[in-house]
Amino acid sequence: MMLEIMIAIPLVTALLVFITRSRRQMELVSTAGIVALFAVACYIVYDVIADGNIEYSIWYLDSLSAYMLFIITFIGLMAAIYSIPYISHEIKERELTVDRAKYYYVLFHVFMFTMLMVVISNNLGIMWIAIEATTLVSAFLVGFTENDMAVEAAWKYLIICSVGITLALFGTILAYASSITVLGESSDALNWSTLMANAAQLDPTLLKISFILIMVGYGTKVGLAPMHTWLPDAHSQAPTPVSALLSGVLLNCAMYGILRYHLIVSVSVPGFSSTLLLLFGLVSMAVAAAFIIVARDFKRLLAYSSIEHMGIIAFGFGIGGFLGIFGALLHMLNHALTKCLMFLGAGNLLQKFKTRDISQIRGVATLMPITAVLFIAGALAITGSPPFSIFLSEVTIMTGGLSSANYLAVGIYILLLAVIFAAFMYHVSKMMFGEPTEGVTKGELERSRFLPMGTLLVMILVMGVFIPTQLHDLLVKIASLFQVFP
Amino acid sequence: MNDIFLTDVINGLAALILLFAFVLVAGVRMGQIIRAYTLGSLALGLLAAAVAYYTKADHIYVVAVLTIVLKVIVIPKFLNYTVDRIKVKKEVEPLVSIPGSLLICGGLTFIAYYIASPIIAQGSSITKNCLAISIAVVFIGFFVIIARRKAMTEIVGLLMMENGLFLAAISLTYGMPMIVEIGVFFDVLVAAIIMGIFAFKINHTFETLDTTFMRRLRD
Repeated sequence: MMLEIMIAIPLVTALLVFITRSRRQMELVSTAGIVALFAVACYIVYDVIADGNIEYSIWYLDSLSAYMLFIITFIGLMAAIYSIPYISHEIKERELTVDRAKYYYVLFHVFMFTMLMVVISNNLGIMWIAIEATTLVSAFLVGFTENDMAVEAAWKYLIICSVGITLALFGTILAYASSITVLGESSDALNWSTLMANAAQLDPTLLKISFILIMVGYGTKVGLAPMHTWLPDAHSQAPTPVSALLSGVLLNCAMYGILRYHLIVSVSVPGFSSTLLLLFGLVSMAVAAAFIIVARDFKRLLAYSSIEHMGIIAFGFGIGGFLGIFGALLHMLNHALTKCLMFLGAGNLLQKFKTRDISQIRGVATLMPITAVLFIAGALAITGSPPFSIFLSEVTIMTGGLSSANYLAVGIYILLLAVIFAAFMYHVSKMMFGEPTEGVTKGELERSRFLPMGTLLVMILVMGVFIPTQLHDLLVKIASLFQVFP
Repeated sequence: MNDIFLTDVINGLAALILLFAFVLVAGVRMGQIIRAYTLGSLALGLLAAAVAYYTKADHIYVVAVLTIVLKVIVIPKFLNYTVDRIKVKKEVEPLVSIPGSLLICGGLTFIAYYIASPIIAQGSSITKNCLAISIAVVFIGFFVIIARRKAMTEIVGLLMMENGLFLAAISLTYGMPMIVEIGVFFDVLVAAIIMGIFAFKINHTFETLDTTFMRRLRD
């Protein structure tokens, strides 16, 4: 019952936002809705940790879905809180009317709904429908500003991801076909829990083709190279809180889709899916490194960094073993938190300087000291410097790779991380220091922006020093799904 | 009706779907392309009905009806409406010439048969020949997206890929569970409508539907 309540919250919120009359009411309803959603989600996560899996009608929640649920709702909360100063600034600057702002909040909550559906449905077909729905809803958010570049980004996003997701549907059909001889044509034969329980008897040939299609299809949405081309466009054109949501949560949701198949295929054809994940991971990191070096637009810089981190996560799952899986799972959360912080910082810069061009942004440290501190901390964190949490997960994955004797792969991984660190910090330090850009007045924007940003910074600092016991236990439990144990 | 006759009907309809895919590639005006898509969808709907008759599975009848209602009536109507409203030139302006496109699609069909051969070899269902055709239709749809530059043709290409997948779903598994089928239909419909809305926006912003003008975002 709690699940239905949770899934209804964002829809009800969207409806209530729709009937509000003023900006103030709109913000209030949106915040109340997202806080309620986060509270209910936490209750459900706690329930799963304490009492085990929830499985009834079309729902299925195990520790992996609970973990994803936490990431989605927490990042959603941060992005929604940040949206308030961001959007009201846009209204003040006459970039947006109040009616358009209402449209933004409605789409925001519907987008949350589709992402929640991805991680709590048992049926792989319904999961596919939900992932396609995330594309359809977020396309409007990407094209929200409706200028030529935003429309171009939204169209590319819509077409590339729809083609990708169509291939994933083919993969889903083949996965279903692989079970027909074992399970017959029953209606629960596409349920993940059923497929997983019978994974050993599924047809391996069909399952292999299915996984390739899933990898390419959902991989498009994850932003794995070479299917990543929509990602920098969409992330740079979307309103900044939405970029944070796309990068921190949507990519993880698609990765979750791949993982569900990875779990099944690993039982039926050991080693096949992990090799693919490893290769795609390394290629994505390499492509991202190349584009980070030549980046000219700071939101695109962050977008390429997301491709890199999705590559790291795929790499970790590909390496396998307890450390590889544990590190990759931890990295999903760490990346979401850190990238959200970075994008929120980028939102401050964008609204202050009114440009995305790195070369036109100078002396942020003098003009906006607090934003500069948060942004530099975020940049150090995202490139994997200690004492931030990403350092911890990257090192865990590296150790996992070394202990499973993937020396060449780990060598490339370390080299790419070093290159990305240097290139990323080069761009960020140019923006932060030096003679301030002329014509930009000194001073921060609204103070309420620092509430979500500060929270995120504290979290990545704390998680860099130690992992809370509850989180550790949860991750160990998820790792046991992959048949690896500490 | 006996099995052999029914198999012939199913194979014949599958061949028609492939034929209309080629007709679509050969189309030079938007109207022709949408008509080819409509006829292909009609063949798909009839094929679903034939499979439903053969397997006595009620839910495939529902699929057949939904296919005909949505893909033969609603979506083509909507596409025609969009084309009329936008009032741009209705020529397709291919990036690859029509004869060249047809040759490439012929090659793609060969590749599809080659890919499907190991799966066909172990299958036993009466619809096993459909699999190769469905893969071919998916490929041709993909090719249409790449080789034609109007936003509208990209939508039709995508819808065609979806048709190919439905053929695969019917031929491999006699359809997926009911709830999934309906969800997928709903998604296809919504996707077509949303892409139509964006086609309006592209036309409004760029004053053309030619997607090759969209080259501003790059590194």
